[in-house]
Amino acid sequence: MGDVFSNLGLGFGVVFQFVQWTPAFLGGTSIPIPVNILLCLIGALVGTLVGVLPGIGTIATVAMLLPITFGLPPVGALIMLAGIYYGAQYGGSTTSILVNIPGEAGSVVTALDGFQMAKQGRAGPALAIAAIGSFFAGCVATVLIAVLGAPLTKLALAFGPAEYFSLMVLGLIFAVVLAKGSVLKAIAMIVLGLLLSMVGSDIETGASRMAFNIPELADGLGFATLAMGLFGFAEIIRNLDAGGESDRQLVQNKVSGLMPTAKDLKDSAPAIGRGTVLGSILGILPGGGAVIASFAAYTLEKKISKTPQKFGRGAIQGVAAPESANNAAAQTSFIPLLTLGIPPNAVMALMVGAMTIHGIVPGPQVMQKQPDLVWGMIASMWVGNLMLLIINLPLVGIWVRLLRVPYRLMFPSIVIFCSIGIYSVNNAPTDVIIAGIFGLIGYWLIKHDFEPAPLLLGMVLGPLMEENLRRALLISRGDWSVFVTRPVSAVLMAIAAALLVLTVLPALRKKRDEVFVESEN
Amino acid sequence: MNATPGQAPVKSIMPKWVRNEQDFVGGIAMMAIAAFALWASSDLQGMRGFSFGAGTAPRMFATLLLILGAGITAVGIFTEGQHLAKYHWRGPFFVTLAILSFSQTIRSMGMIFAAMTSFLIAACGSAETKWVETIIVGACLTAFCALLFPYALGLPLQLLPTFMIR
Repeated sequence: MGDVFSNLGLGFGVVFQFVQWTPAFLGGTSIPIPVNILLCLIGALVGTLVGVLPGIGTIATVAMLLPITFGLPPVGALIMLAGIYYGAQYGGSTTSILVNIPGEAGSVVTALDGFQMAKQGRAGPALAIAAIGSFFAGCVATVLIAVLGAPLTKLALAFGPAEYFSLMVLGLIFAVVLAKGSVLKAIAMIVLGLLLSMVGSDIETGASRMAFNIPELADGLGFATLAMGLFGFAEIIRNLDAGGESDRQLVQNKVSGLMPTAKDLKDSAPAIGRGTVLGSILGILPGGGAVIASFAAYTLEKKISKTPQKFGRGAIQGVAAPESANNAAAQTSFIPLLTLGIPPNAVMALMVGAMTIHGIVPGPQVMQKQPDLVWGMIASMWVGNLMLLIINLPLVGIWVRLLRVPYRLMFPSIVIFCSIGIYSVNNAPTDVIIAGIFGLIGYWLIKHDFEPAPLLLGMVLGPLMEENLRRALLISRGDWSVFVTRPVSAVLMAIAAALLVLTVLPALRKKRDEVFVESEN
Repeated sequence: MNATPGQAPVKSIMPKWVRNEQDFVGGIAMMAIAAFALWASSDLQGMRGFSFGAGTAPRMFATLLLILGAGITAVGIFTEGQHLAKYHWRGPFFVTLAILSFSQTIRSMGMIFAAMTSFLIAACGSAETKWVETIIVGACLTAFCALLFPYALGLPLQLLPTFMIR
């Protein structure tokens, strides 16, 4: 337990670090500036700002804002990115409550009761409860990360290449199981991501692979480039298709009376608690952590409620539970990333991309070699949550006004912003073109019901998987059975196989049933 | 969206035995990508004894994708599903054009020109664009980016055209 406190202490030390700033115009007087807190604040603000814009999900927000963190030192950049992530999540729930357009899948269920509350003129309490629930969940999740961090890292350090490979297979299978839509298509997307990650030079032999002598491809496809193409550009193009303006029913009532009543608080307190527990557990699992968590929390609340008929008509529990679960899951999903170096979802994959750009290879080694980085980030999560609570409630008025920005002005702005961002990574015009191509590919994928998120996961895990597979087979002298003879690896593989079978079976049955129905007609 | 007798023949370019056009085309595309990757990595070294060559992993993943693509195609043949999605050309076309224009002008003409032109090109992608407000917003955004990226973030971006700097 002492470890946890000293680690958290170290983390808060990093977050509350002051840097002496000596501007020339003050003639040598230096002012202490809490840089990391400021970065966290800016990240949370900007994240909310972009996350509030309708039609831009969390992944797109984080992808779009990646370049603005490149110029910072690694600790500051990661703290800011984490802030952007929570901000974007919070922005997503704001839009679902106020306009019934969930910015991302995780806040779909929030829209059910949140928007009804807003229609009844109770948008203020809904937003406040969402923020309070998120903050509580954030506090619990931060402690959980701190407690689980060290032991999981020890476990991870005992892993050999075979165990690592099996763990990654399990992670990817989880992502498939929890993804919506066709299992085959989700696996295909992961494999496509793995394949794309092979472009560039081979780590061991240095041979150029599938680069076609294009100098920009020699180092591989840029992760930020791909992410911004697949999520930034593709989303714009898709939204243009849908006619971005058509179905926006903004709540016209003025948002007044922010504070929830005592009854609201009493009603939602147990829901927040249950949501937090559920979210914390589900967040650690790879796959669509936050999304599943909010759905599960809403369903649970509805099941155990004495008045289930109120759900969907503005029940405050229907906002409190999914929002808490959502936020708890968003934070605990950092656990596999920080301890094992394996991103459990697409946003975490983006974090890996950002870390790689700063020269950090995520994994158990980071926890040992750069404890200030990891613990600073963990402490900043708590600070970030606190800031969201403090700044966002007074700023609701501004967010509402932002929602009125018409899409016809928003989308060219995003195109420009993304283009400049991509260009600024390497000062390479070719990167912008590559992102454009991936924008079109992403549009095509969405049109054909392929989800681009697993692709990103495959892209990040590709090099890691290849490396560990190679090493495992080298150690076992080419014996493939190493994955099932080493006990830990065997267990992981068995879970993966069982999960896959479980997912495929009902789907098969359903499809078969459809065929049977067809043939009878 | 089900292929009811009344709807099925409507401008479907697919043969009749394809019942889920979306998956059928999607699967074929995946197979095509896999085949391309197999061809592109064919010149790389394979296994040497029990150690991987540079080409082993790419070919492994490509083969896997080929199998999965075949599976998706099979799903497209044997299950009922949706018709091919409709594409709109206007949005994708102008957004792509804007991106291309940006990448071609950023080096020689500087950020201000590149951003402003591609903003205007992208704006053509929507039928709802009103030109006066678009130009005003475009100018404001360009000014904002011109301050944000080189000054606030310290990224080395050239703002003005090369001929004006010289």
